[in-house]
Amino acid sequence: MDQLPNLGREQEMLDSMGLKSIDDLFSDIPEEVRRMDPLPLRGPQSEEEIWADAQHLLGANIDLDSRPSFLSAGLARNFVPTMVPMLATRGEFLTSYTPYQPEVSQGMLQAMWEFQTMVSELVGLPVSNVSMYDASTAAAEAITTAVRVKGRKATQKGVVYVSQFVPPHRLSVIENYTQGVGIELRTLEHNSDGMVNLEAASAAVGACAVYVEQPNAFGELDEGITQMKEIIGENTALIVGVDAVSLGIVEAPGNYGADIVVGEGQPFGIGPTAGGPIYGLFACKKEYLRLMPGRIVGKTLDEDGKDAFTLTLSTREQHIRRHRATSNICSNETLIALMGAMHMALLGPEGLEKLALRVAATTEVTKQAISGISGVELVDPNTPNFREFAVKLPGNAADAVAHMDAAGVLGGFPMGEWWDSMSSCLLIGCDERTTQSDIEALVSALTAWVEEESA
Amino acid sequence: MSDIFEFNGAKGSGWSQPEPMKEGAINAVPSSLRRSTLPRWPRASEPELVRHYTWLSQRNFGIDNGFYPLGSCTMKHNPRINERIVQLPGIDRIHPLQPEHQIQGLLSIFYEMQEMLEICAGMDQVTLQPVAGAQGEFTAIRCIQEYHRQNGDIQRDKVIVPDSAHGTNPASAAMCGYEIVEIPSGEDGRLDLSALRAAVGEDTAAMMITNPSTLGVFEPDIAEAAEIVHSAGGQMYYDGANFNAILGKTDPGRMGFDAVHYNLHKTFSQPHGGGGPGSGPIGVKAHLADFLPSPIADREETEDGGATGDGYRYFWRSPTNSIGKVQQWHGNSGAVVRAWAYYRRYGRELELMSEHAVLNANYLRHQIMNPNQEHQNSIHSMPVDGAPSEVVKHEFTLSMMPLKETTGVTGKDIAKRLLDYGYMSPTLYFPMIVPECLMIEPTETESREVLDKFAEDFLTILSEDPEVVQTAPHTTDVRRVDEVLAARTLVLRKEFDD
Repeated sequence: MDQLPNLGREQEMLDSMGLKSIDDLFSDIPEEVRRMDPLPLRGPQSEEEIWADAQHLLGANIDLDSRPSFLSAGLARNFVPTMVPMLATRGEFLTSYTPYQPEVSQGMLQAMWEFQTMVSELVGLPVSNVSMYDASTAAAEAITTAVRVKGRKATQKGVVYVSQFVPPHRLSVIENYTQGVGIELRTLEHNSDGMVNLEAASAAVGACAVYVEQPNAFGELDEGITQMKEIIGENTALIVGVDAVSLGIVEAPGNYGADIVVGEGQPFGIGPTAGGPIYGLFACKKEYLRLMPGRIVGKTLDEDGKDAFTLTLSTREQHIRRHRATSNICSNETLIALMGAMHMALLGPEGLEKLALRVAATTEVTKQAISGISGVELVDPNTPNFREFAVKLPGNAADAVAHMDAAGVLGGFPMGEWWDSMSSCLLIGCDERTTQSDIEALVSALTAWVEEESA
Repeated sequence: MSDIFEFNGAKGSGWSQPEPMKEGAINAVPSSLRRSTLPRWPRASEPELVRHYTWLSQRNFGIDNGFYPLGSCTMKHNPRINERIVQLPGIDRIHPLQPEHQIQGLLSIFYEMQEMLEICAGMDQVTLQPVAGAQGEFTAIRCIQEYHRQNGDIQRDKVIVPDSAHGTNPASAAMCGYEIVEIPSGEDGRLDLSALRAAVGEDTAAMMITNPSTLGVFEPDIAEAAEIVHSAGGQMYYDGANFNAILGKTDPGRMGFDAVHYNLHKTFSQPHGGGGPGSGPIGVKAHLADFLPSPIADREETEDGGATGDGYRYFWRSPTNSIGKVQQWHGNSGAVVRAWAYYRRYGRELELMSEHAVLNANYLRHQIMNPNQEHQNSIHSMPVDGAPSEVVKHEFTLSMMPLKETTGVTGKDIAKRLLDYGYMSPTLYFPMIVPECLMIEPTETESREVLDKFAEDFLTILSEDPEVVQTAPHTTDVRRVDEVLAARTLVLRKEFDD
């Protein structure tokens, strides 16, 4: 065991305390609850053996980079600049904790203040926290925040309208976070072309909030959302969930009236990592600042008048306010947000725009290619897409995915897993790394399945 | 001071990328939706940014820099093999929705971790989905809530927490809609059974408690407390923040708990990363297993040997009455893999980790509380124990009240002065029931020499000119930071001149 500096010196330490054995240290645990037998677990391993087992087990996984992959569904198969993990895992960052002592934590505090600024610029809202767990918890806590702020004036008490096309795994998180605190979720309908039904949206006037996603679960960009704030009015919060990369070319929601913007930060900073650790973006208008969740860094002065950073508005938080806190969040995703900040800084404004254009371009090219397959139809042929689009297949999409899988292509996500009525729909996700040959492989694999299916 | 926005090179400078696959992709965005102005992000080259972030890192204190006795947070050494492993494409480049047969290795690690955590805590089923301790609490209370609803026990609308509980406990229960009943600790800082008896009733949904308590002492009456709550029809929830003190010595199952969360970033060394990520799996007894979030890793024997060669095929399973999801994927898989690598290093000897954590805490407490003659002569006032106890577990609390009374030096002053000596400060002013509290957790990965030196320096500070201590820190990047000004002016981002 190479992790214990005092191994073999236990007795001398016990002696100096006047204790006889390690057992004396546990004498306060009543016998009826003591465990006397050893844990029935495997034996210890050396670092070398652990590495070998990790390579073996994780090597049994098929990673996204090893084959043409069109599975996105809210996560990005991105390329993270090499600098990012190398610097973020510097021990001073990696092994620190929440900067409760700002005098020795200026580095992380400043990095998070810079992160807040970059996120604020990205989404067009003045306030950002230092991260939520992911897009789903960010959306859920945006809703509870909006209800706290808008609840009093709302004529539809506790009511929040949620887009019909929020995917069920995200909606489920929202339901868990809202079910016990007097919030009623109602569905905001979409038209048959996938766009939000703006007439139905007027029903949300007087509600606490509306939550929509831009692009929606089908990757569709919706111009109507830019009119939403005008429809629902000042007393109802507009919460917009975004694809963060899209904001290189798509208007920042803060500029069309969004009150709170949330989203997956993951495309900036870290690979899909089997779904975590990733980080959720959370930004809002000043009106929400004192009732929002999460840690916030402010710039201030030290007692010599020197610029300094510190955590601020902690009185919202659980360690001070306890059951009246705005959220229970304590550990968040700071290190991943740091990686995100590094990635954003490397990209710069024009780099962000280019990244977004690259994704838009592969989406467009793939969409064109797929819509040329006979028997395959775009679900919404006239709507603009970013990163993802849905197609209707002449059969079960899960079967198509399995068939393409056998041909070495990860062909997308069968939407029947989200909505029963969409079992024939396939969600195809593209990214900046999609190549022409990937697209050809997808077209060929999907064509082969269609032909077999119709034979 | 310079910030990152002072790097403002030529337009389009910075990290190079391939060209878009086709020109005119912007036309995919309807003109009314196009972004009007780009975000004012820095324009920097790689060498500039490497230097910027290196400079920032040098102004940040981690475990790698020195002793980090932040009580309750378990700031132990983070083995670096764990970081190397999560860079493997078999975890970094994995999508959680890939077909099961493509992620058999990941599923097998999940399964192994679920099983290990079940054994360690005496629970029947674990889920790895919650991504932080607080989220684990929330998830478990949600499961308990559904359990009561299913039994028609809808009148159970209260959750009991001791006044020494972590703030996340009441906050998590409140997020589920529960009313919080806080019970006062006894005079010795321990759970007061008569207060508990008075608090339970037909409206009790659960009690949330950590053991050892936040004072670092084991609650001797825990089994009886469980009995009291259970006979009132409530459920017992174990806050696993302090699980690293008792692993292999006892477990929440034996103590009578129904549900527990684990902090993989505490007990199992996932790095804290300046505030996260964490990972907060929960374990439950069989009667609650049906309500756990979906999905859970499971396996069945297979004749072809399985993808990992262990004879099993792994798959995701959804509990029948699942509460659904608390994070939209499968949790912080990367944290789970790091914790797996950590577990593999100890295996069945995990008990050693707890033994040394407790040994170090008791040793440090002994060194501080038994000063030599020289210190005795010069110290203004000794601290007193937060809770009287023969032995402590993995951490201990000290009240600096006597020092404050004699010299005006507060716990906060001591905390700031420790920074001058090259230490991170202990947890300050928690638990709130101990006046002028410092909560000290050395962890098992500190040597006796480090503990001796810390005790020596701590006692020296108690002898120092109060003026010097009250104006500390003196040697850090910045002096004492004006937090009141920060909250008043709220400068939460860079403002640009243009």
